[in-house]
Amino acid sequence: MKIQLKLYASSKILSDTDILKVDLPNSSNVGDLRNALSKIISEKNLKQLKDLPAASAFFGEFNEVINDEYKLKDKELISIIPPIGGG
Amino acid sequence: MVLHTALVEIEVEKISSDKAKKFIASEKNGAESIFVGRVRNENDGKKVTGVTYDTHDQVVIKSFQSICQNAKNQFDKNAKIFLEHAKGYVPVGEISILIAVGAAHRDEAFKICRYVLEEIKHQSPIWKKEHYIDGKEEWLPGHSLRPKQKVN
Repeated sequence: MKIQLKLYASSKILSDTDILKVDLPNSSNVGDLRNALSKIISEKNLKQLKDLPAASAFFGEFNEVINDEYKLKDKELISIIPPIGGG
Repeated sequence: MVLHTALVEIEVEKISSDKAKKFIASEKNGAESIFVGRVRNENDGKKVTGVTYDTHDQVVIKSFQSICQNAKNQFDKNAKIFLEHAKGYVPVGEISILIAVGAAHRDEAFKICRYVLEEIKHQSPIWKKEHYIDGKEEWLPGHSLRPKQKVN
């Protein structure tokens, strides 16, 4: 299955657009998405993003925080939320 | 109206302290507290030319409203709060955040101002990229919103 990951801040370097499409096995969860992102970052040799998958939160389609056990659905739109720092 | 929150695209519009002062003005206020945050020209020994703010707009506005409402509930139910935060590119010297509070007494006005600022840093999905004089740029580290893992 394929999920759509909406990118923010430092994660935008992962794609030319605001959305990164990520291939995952069926029945994958957010924890699996973290692992897939780590692999993508390693393959692209983006050393500055090596801590991003572990440090980020993820929002579901209703902008709620979803935990690592959350089961992802095909074509679902998820947002990656890197550590925040406004103000 | 007792609450105003907004994200402001600085390349289109400026954050205005006059607008904030007008918004919070009331004969019921015994105190007004205004915090203005600006982009400064140096950070960690590096010369800064500007900052780009990225924002998750929907969640930011929801968090601003919730933070301000909590502040009112905690410190002064009748307080008036004006909160604007920049988005997009903001050059050195420009306002990046403005919090204005009108309350009955100074203690509540100061406390609400401080509370709102600190909670934004811990709740609102806003990110800051600094641009340096040598052409380099860097996303600054921040506070993780990842839920704590359960310990068995």
